[in-house]
Amino acid sequence: MSGSLTASDLSVRYETPHGSVHALRHVDIEAHPGEVIGIVGESGCGKSTLVTALANLLPANARIDGSISYNGVDLAKLDAHHQRLLRGDEIALVSQDPMTAFNPVLTIGDQLVDFQHHRKDLGRAQKRARIAAMLGRVGIADAERRMDCYPHELSGGMRQRVAIAAALLTDSGLLIADEPTTALDVTMEAQIIHLLRELRREYNGIIIVVSHHLGVIAELCDRVYVMYAGEVVEGGEVDAIFHDARHPYTQALLACDPARFHERLDRLPTIPGSLPNLTQPPSGCVYAPRCDRAFAPCGSVAPPQVKLSASHMARCHAVAP
Amino acid sequence: MSPLLAIDDLSVTFARSGLLSRLINPFPLPSFNVIDGVTLSLMPGETLGLVGESGSGKTTLARTILGLVRAAAGRIVFEGREVQTPADFRAMRRRSAMMFQDPVASLSPRLRIGTLLTEPQIIQGLPMPDRRAAAKALLALVGLPASFVDRFPHELSGGQARRVGVARALAMKPHLLLADEPTAGLDVSVQGDVLNLIGELKRELGFAAMIVTHNLAMIRHVSDRLAIMYLGRLVETGPTQDVFSAPMHPYTATLIQSEPIPDPRRRSQNPAVTGEIPSVFRRPSGCEFHTRCPIARDRCKTEAPAYRPMGADRMVRCHFPLETGGQEREAFSRASANQRGN
Repeated sequence: MSGSLTASDLSVRYETPHGSVHALRHVDIEAHPGEVIGIVGESGCGKSTLVTALANLLPANARIDGSISYNGVDLAKLDAHHQRLLRGDEIALVSQDPMTAFNPVLTIGDQLVDFQHHRKDLGRAQKRARIAAMLGRVGIADAERRMDCYPHELSGGMRQRVAIAAALLTDSGLLIADEPTTALDVTMEAQIIHLLRELRREYNGIIIVVSHHLGVIAELCDRVYVMYAGEVVEGGEVDAIFHDARHPYTQALLACDPARFHERLDRLPTIPGSLPNLTQPPSGCVYAPRCDRAFAPCGSVAPPQVKLSASHMARCHAVAP
Repeated sequence: MSPLLAIDDLSVTFARSGLLSRLINPFPLPSFNVIDGVTLSLMPGETLGLVGESGSGKTTLARTILGLVRAAAGRIVFEGREVQTPADFRAMRRRSAMMFQDPVASLSPRLRIGTLLTEPQIIQGLPMPDRRAAAKALLALVGLPASFVDRFPHELSGGQARRVGVARALAMKPHLLLADEPTAGLDVSVQGDVLNLIGELKRELGFAAMIVTHNLAMIRHVSDRLAIMYLGRLVETGPTQDVFSAPMHPYTATLIQSEPIPDPRRRSQNPAVTGEIPSVFRRPSGCEFHTRCPIARDRCKTEAPAYRPMGADRMVRCHFPLETGGQEREAFSRASANQRGN
């Protein structure tokens, strides 16, 4: 089963002893089956809060406003039991460090059997056969033997492949990959990117890739949302984001990436300033204090979502349609 | 000009087993070369990028240079004098400094920034009439407010902690700065900040730097020369621009090709290299890279290639280096293209 995912006017705040932290504010995103969606931003931009909200794994002190609808069901309104049924069955998460995602005292074969708990129609032998096939598909040679390994016996790259296999074994309609290559070396990163690209051809659901790495996003995604300080500041087709970015933050972020320059730079570009305090988010634009194009309304009036084309939007006063 | 630092045929050996098994087992156990025959030099004021994947031994090499790990063989010559005894290393560390990888973990959580910044001088027994003023001067050097002297490390952001790391490393006015992954864990908008700061201070104070990293996109802008490591050995060294524009070792070419490009119109072809870096416990025979090399031939499996000069200021450890216009380079591109077709 796979359906579309929509978050509308989604806000998340964390209640802390020092006041509420408005970690996510008025986020609208949508994703359709067959798409690879990228969520990119720096630390503190809210990308982890967003995916945790999508996977219904927010901590107890989080308060959600707005709606997350998947396949016509509002996830935020489900009770804990139904949420849990949905996770695993419909939503799978590949985390940054696959070491912590697996139980260290069970073999990966046993754990991958458990991942298929919803397949009541299959026996253990059939489940193990599926695992062997899936491990082969994600590029693990000698799958039968690897199933008897414990997580620590596998290298980081191999564990990430197993984590991807685990996510695919659940037949979920929504696969969230949170920084899937951050813990890996560059030659392994290239291989995992290649693997995800191959797999998407046969995968009918939605893939959401979260990363701070612009290169990974450009390599993998169809559409991209750029986040800053808890807001989606720009969204559009990957080509529009990388070649026709309109929001000053997106432009600055792209300009900072040293991978874009081949000639030696004497000074690497940076974004001066720092993130606003999210216990009291500014009333105007969140990026205004660091923006070189800020003018009168930016400091006081929240910028509107400006539709630049059917698929491209930016939340900025300075962007004319 | 004589080099500031010269390393000659340096090797570091780790025994595989712990003390207990050594006591139980009467026979000597095999040991493993984590660093093997590294020869490298650094000129005054130069920036060298030491690049490799995890497990390549780059951090161990940096630590060995400062005497934090003991070398099994080889020579380290710093400012014309061979460094051998612990006393030599202590004297060397007075004129060199290390920035450790994790900036927050390398600052003691119970000391204030002011104390942390002046600790090196105290340890080296240098006179310091006004500790607070000295700390404030160092904070000013790295662009942090003087009020930070009373803060604790946990009150700093990642970028600020990194700046404190830079200030502490430079407290002794070193001639050599070893920076281990100075940008790991930093956002792109902040990483430039730290590197620009190191670059500015380098111009101002004139020290030489060795930057240990796996981040190719960054190192290409901040280093003069590159040294690429694989399994504890240098496989290629040369001027940064030359190495990037025409890598000679297939491993270097692979690393450069693997880097994701932030441009959806130039999506990478499929990786030419598969598999992962082998363990130093099971070094492949012949050339260590032959198990993953797209252009490996029979000779590579049996005969270890020599580390030899290739033109001015370049060294390569490969039987079949990718020379411009040579058939090896064509074979390498063909191998990558074949992978793409699969």
